[in-house]
Amino acid sequence: MKDLDTRMITAHEANDRMALIKLYAEAANGANDLDASCFYLTHAYVFALEAGAPQAKDLHAQLVQHGREA
Amino acid sequence: MTQTVTDLSNVRNSVEKANGLPNEHYIDERVFQEEKQALLFSQWAGLAVAADVPEPGDAVPMEFLGMPLLLLRDKEGHVRVFQNICRHRGMILVEEPRKIEGAIRCPYHSWCYSTKGNLVSTPHVGGPGHNTHEAIKRDDLGLIEVRSHIWRDVVWINVSGDAPAFEEAMADVMQRWAEFELPLYHGGHDSRFELEVQTNWKLAVENYCESYHLPWVHPGLNSYSKLEDHYNIEKPGEYSGQGTMVYRQLTNENGEKFPDFADVGAKWNEQAEYIAVYPNVLLGTHRDHAFAIILEPKGPEKTVEHIHLYYAVPQSDEGLRMRNTQLWKTVFEEDIFVVEGMQRGRHAANFDGGRFSPAMDGPTHNFHDWVASKVETHRAKAKAAE
Repeated sequence: MKDLDTRMITAHEANDRMALIKLYAEAANGANDLDASCFYLTHAYVFALEAGAPQAKDLHAQLVQHGREA
Repeated sequence: MTQTVTDLSNVRNSVEKANGLPNEHYIDERVFQEEKQALLFSQWAGLAVAADVPEPGDAVPMEFLGMPLLLLRDKEGHVRVFQNICRHRGMILVEEPRKIEGAIRCPYHSWCYSTKGNLVSTPHVGGPGHNTHEAIKRDDLGLIEVRSHIWRDVVWINVSGDAPAFEEAMADVMQRWAEFELPLYHGGHDSRFELEVQTNWKLAVENYCESYHLPWVHPGLNSYSKLEDHYNIEKPGEYSGQGTMVYRQLTNENGEKFPDFADVGAKWNEQAEYIAVYPNVLLGTHRDHAFAIILEPKGPEKTVEHIHLYYAVPQSDEGLRMRNTQLWKTVFEEDIFVVEGMQRGRHAANFDGGRFSPAMDGPTHNFHDWVASKVETHRAKAKAAE
């Protein structure tokens, strides 16, 4: 997780949205509880939405499935 | 708030007897704020040109009289104007001109909006990882859109939202130039420039709409476009300007000219017109090119003129274009000393607004009459609301 944090900080500093989508999705997969997972999924989704990235659709679907997004 | 009152009683008199607007309308911050509402926010004012956002997703933040706006071309190609703020905490959304790839994300709490202004995401609004809340109705919280309309590539906005429909408000001037209702192609980077002028925006209108000054301020025109070749254009309550009967096309060393706008009619072979569309847009049209000047009021005594040149075809000759840009830049720069000189003149305490030549100053008087009528209407409404 520490490695993931470091990669996230690097991606934030570089404003590398594609990397941020990937890293937050990875964090969501590795989280132990649903709230934490949806927290990270939300970030992945927002960055995908901003970038117009195709991953947005799937990330949105996951959040909707958990009752976290409209 | 103290009511701002200047004496406009003689401004609306006939041109033979009228005085111009009092000094305060050019130098007083309170009157500037009053006119912001009465003349600019309540009307269809020029903000920018559609060519500023040529591609879908192009976004340009701008200020109009202190109001943060976002000029945007949505994903379907429609130009829109929004207030450049998030509906959550009022944060500025877009700081620099850029391409919106997907959604507009507020940099503060990441609420996201589509290029049509719809609120599409509200991260953590119901708590961490919970992105909805029953109190936050996304359909009610889209970006605040400013009423806008594109005509002659100018993006016109009505901030108050209650002006008549654009086509209704501008019906007469649109009819006057109906023959030029054709595609306009912005000449590109070499066909736009700005002039920052130390003057009230109204003096730029007043100088533009009359031909009286041409032989004195633009002596280069005397060789082919004499004062007697010009005529006044006056439409009370709407616009004024001047026309010429001897427009001569620009040529290069090979005798080449710009292509004409198709089928505009023989009337326009040597005729050209220059119209100030109130409040702040100055338009010119000729058989082979057109221009738009948007006056951006920056304060009572400061204006930025945004000048854009247009052609009948998308790929016009670059050399000719640059020559034409330089020609017009020279003309407009020749006007700077007079609009700045008149501005400084407005600090002469005993100036009474001046008098008009009944023969030559009709277009300027037409503008003053419009200003006075709108200010009086605004004051009457303010008084009724007390």
